[in-house]
Amino acid sequence: MTTNLEAAPAATNGKPPTADKLSIVMFSGTADKFIPLGVLAQAAAVMATDVRVFVTGFALLGFTKQHHDLPFPAELASMASALTQGMKQTHVPSWDKMLAEARGFGAKVYACSMMAGVMGLKKDDFNELIDDVVGAATFLQEAVGGQTLFI
Amino acid sequence: MSTVVDSRGSACPGPITDLALAYRRAKVGDVIELWATDPGVKADVRAWAAKTKNEVVSIDEQSDKIVSTLRILRR
Repeated sequence: MTTNLEAAPAATNGKPPTADKLSIVMFSGTADKFIPLGVLAQAAAVMATDVRVFVTGFALLGFTKQHHDLPFPAELASMASALTQGMKQTHVPSWDKMLAEARGFGAKVYACSMMAGVMGLKKDDFNELIDDVVGAATFLQEAVGGQTLFI
Repeated sequence: MSTVVDSRGSACPGPITDLALAYRRAKVGDVIELWATDPGVKADVRAWAAKTKNEVVSIDEQSDKIVSTLRILRR
C-alpha cells in the first residue's frame, strides 16, 4: 500500500491552508444580530470565498422548522419597528433569504451538536438552512487557515 | 457578449450578488454592465473584480444610477 504524501488533508477540501475562507460562529439569538450574519455570509459567498457558519446557543432557534419569533435586545426594542420598516423601504432581504443565497453559492451551515442536544433538537427539527449537525472540533478544523467571526 | 444586469433599488450585497449570478453564466471576453443605486457598489465592484481577477472597465456615476462595466477575463 502506498501513501500519497502530496494529498492535502480532507478538512481543507484539497485547498492549501491559506485558502480564502470565512467562518462565522453565530451565537446570539437576537433578531438584530441575524442581519450581519446574512449580509456577511452572502457577500463573502458571492466573492467566491468559502463560507461556513456554525450555529450555537440561542441562535439555533432561528433555524428550527417550528417558527420562533426572534426577540430584539431590550435596549433596542423601542427601535425594532423602525428598523424593520427601514429595511423594507430599502429592499433589504430578510436574513434567511440572504443565508439561502449564500448557500446557493456554496456556503455551509452547521448546527452545534452539543447545544442542539441541550435544547432537545434533533437534525430533523432544523429547517433546510442547516446542512448538518456537527461538533465544535469539526467546525474548528474546517476553520483552520481562514478568518473567523463571532456574532 | 454584453449583458446588462439591472440591480437598481437592491441594497448591499444585492448588486454584487446579481453580478456574481451573471458571472456564472458569462464566458471569457464577455462584458457585464451592472446598474445599481446602492452607493456601496463602487468599492464592492472593485473588490469583487480584484478577488475574482476580472477587469473593471469603468464605473460611471450617473444622476439616477451607477453603471459599472466589467470585462470577464477568467472563469
